[in-house]
Amino acid sequence: MELARIEKLLDAYFEGNTSLAEEAILRNYFAQNEVAPHLAAYKPMFDGFTLAKKEVSKQDVQVTEKQFTVRRWWYGVAASVVLAIGVAGFMFSEPKLTQEEQEALVAFEKTREAMQMMSQNFNEGAEELSYISTFTKTKNKILK
Amino acid sequence: MKQKEFIATVLPFKDKLYRLAKRILVSGDEAEDAVQEVYLKLWKGRNKISNYKNPEAFAVTMTKNYCLDRLKSKQASNLKIVHSNYKTSENIEKKIEANDGVQLVFRIMETLPEQQRIILQLRDVEQFEFSEIAKMLDSTETAVRVNLSRARKAVREELIKKHNYGIS
Repeated sequence: MELARIEKLLDAYFEGNTSLAEEAILRNYFAQNEVAPHLAAYKPMFDGFTLAKKEVSKQDVQVTEKQFTVRRWWYGVAASVVLAIGVAGFMFSEPKLTQEEQEALVAFEKTREAMQMMSQNFNEGAEELSYISTFTKTKNKILK
Repeated sequence: MKQKEFIATVLPFKDKLYRLAKRILVSGDEAEDAVQEVYLKLWKGRNKISNYKNPEAFAVTMTKNYCLDRLKSKQASNLKIVHSNYKTSENIEKKIEANDGVQLVFRIMETLPEQQRIILQLRDVEQFEFSEIAKMLDSTETAVRVNLSRARKAVREELIKKHNYGIS
């Protein structure tokens, strides 16, 4: 490769005016060991680009998103089942009272009975009191 | 799009994405993470990717955007980029050891503005056409050429500075 051409290409290269093919020529020129001394400063640049391209990713790409979506779908199902059970349980268990509530209900009934009995007796007692008013009337007739 | 088909479409340019990510983020580990993230995004939009004429260009654009975002959020949270890859990436380290000049070039590239770094990577390392790069970066061919010229000259300037220093 004649030196003049390389120099010309190099100038164009730094102006951003070289084609990929021309850049390949430059890379190849600098890849060899004998480079003109006044161009030696550019060698690491082109060597660097060549070397940089050899670097590879060491990690495997994981696209196991399919399993992930399936699992996510199951989450949805599981959540709605739990919710359904919860709602159903709430609705069906409402009439059934707990032990404490049943006892409270019985106690309430007893108390009401007792209250009723008391008020009945009280009313009976009040009826008996009407005799007192008769007594008052009679007394008024006499003591007028 | 089935998993096999997807892998066959996107895996060939995995290393290119990795190298671009590393050029932007500097850290090899972060670059691996970025590639993983980009592939996950591609996988999620796998039904769309077949509509694109050039999945590779699309993936490059995604990688570039993702890495720049990472960089921005890192600067925002005041975290410094870890310049540890000289030590960690052994496979390249060994090759470089014999050549201080090349290592210097890599270090100079790290000091370039991101846009120039990206263009230099896409053109001089990955050898994309100007039209492709312009599309990837949502730019024009002229703008790409101008930026590339600046990047190349900046590297040259530093290199010659160091070269002369070494001689004198």
